[in-house]
Amino acid sequence: MTDPYLPGDELIDGHTLDELSDYLARGRTPADPSIDGSPECRAALESLARLSRTTRDLLDAEAEQSSADDGWVGRILDGIRLDVQSGRRVPLAHPDPSADLALTEGAVRALVRGVGDGIDGVIVGRCRLDGELETIGSPIAVHVEISVRYGDPLDAVAAEVREAVAAELAQHAEVNVASVDVTVTDVRAGRAPDGGLA
Amino acid sequence: MGLPIRQQSGAEGERVARSDVHALSEASDDTLAGRAADGDTVAFEVLVRRHGPLMRAYAARMLGSTYESDDVVQETFVTAWRRLGELQEGAAVKSWLMRILSRRCLDRIRARHEYDDVTEVDAAAPADTGPEHLTEVRTANEALGRALDGLPELQRRCWVLREVGQYSYDEIAQELDIPVSTVRGQLARGRRRLLEAMEDWR
Repeated sequence: MTDPYLPGDELIDGHTLDELSDYLARGRTPADPSIDGSPECRAALESLARLSRTTRDLLDAEAEQSSADDGWVGRILDGIRLDVQSGRRVPLAHPDPSADLALTEGAVRALVRGVGDGIDGVIVGRCRLDGELETIGSPIAVHVEISVRYGDPLDAVAAEVREAVAAELAQHAEVNVASVDVTVTDVRAGRAPDGGLA
Repeated sequence: MGLPIRQQSGAEGERVARSDVHALSEASDDTLAGRAADGDTVAFEVLVRRHGPLMRAYAARMLGSTYESDDVVQETFVTAWRRLGELQEGAAVKSWLMRILSRRCLDRIRARHEYDDVTEVDAAAPADTGPEHLTEVRTANEALGRALDGLPELQRRCWVLREVGQYSYDEIAQELDIPVSTVRGQLARGRRRLLEAMEDWR
């Protein structure tokens, strides 16, 4: 306990450790020359910054050790599967008027994700269906957010997603697709053929 | 529930298989949070695998028990699943999860009524500086881990809330229902003891 920067409650070149910690937390702004100009204060700031870093490192290391074991993840997923929000009811036409067929909005979104993910390099994000989904034949505006692999042509990929989604919904959900907006919200490093990040 | 009544073609199965955890593991938090808000449990699973381990470590440090902390993390994810639609910035999902988790941990701590008598907390003697000095410690992480274990509970919690949970002094005071001056004092003591431990290690 002979650390020169920890003299009990004594001052470090005119400042308490508490003050220095606050200063660090504020990102050292506004600059205080009486701190920045003092070698003792700078050394103490360095110790404090190292302590913060080590704290986060420690938690990260502990996280790595615990990792996400399948049993634990499985229990969480069991808990949420009972609670899936399926959204609005999307009716389907049928020749027999007594038949009452429908998809859920959640299932329609799953169709959109499925067909979008099927396009090389694309991962679908959020999907919104605007319009009177509960009325057969009512025009629906589809908004899809996608993540595209770095290097792929954005316009061409977006156009491909747009066409595929429109075709899929017309065929399998009988939704009257008025428009499909595709927004690229993320460009990410994709996996190289060897499985590593490109 | 969410099942299409009409049978989908066989191709549907293949498409679903492609959206597996591995295929989504390279997606950003933003993309995953959006999908999960739309009801995609696979995207949610990737988020659980990505952020769950740190949340477990954090909760264990806060509550001092892995048994209870695993419960709290589980509750956090159930709450998050229900409320993902409210999250504006999907990219912020990690700090959003940490906030929900912190609140859950604090609920548990409050329920124990440990800090009803703050004067007692303030007067609490520092924990003994016993075992952590006996065996040799090889890494900075190990040194800090032991020092954290040796801190009185309130000091440790204030420290973890501040440094990992990114809580302000005021927020900690409010959540633990103790005066800000107590929080400041606890953090000052904890900080000093942790710094000492790190200096000893070096």
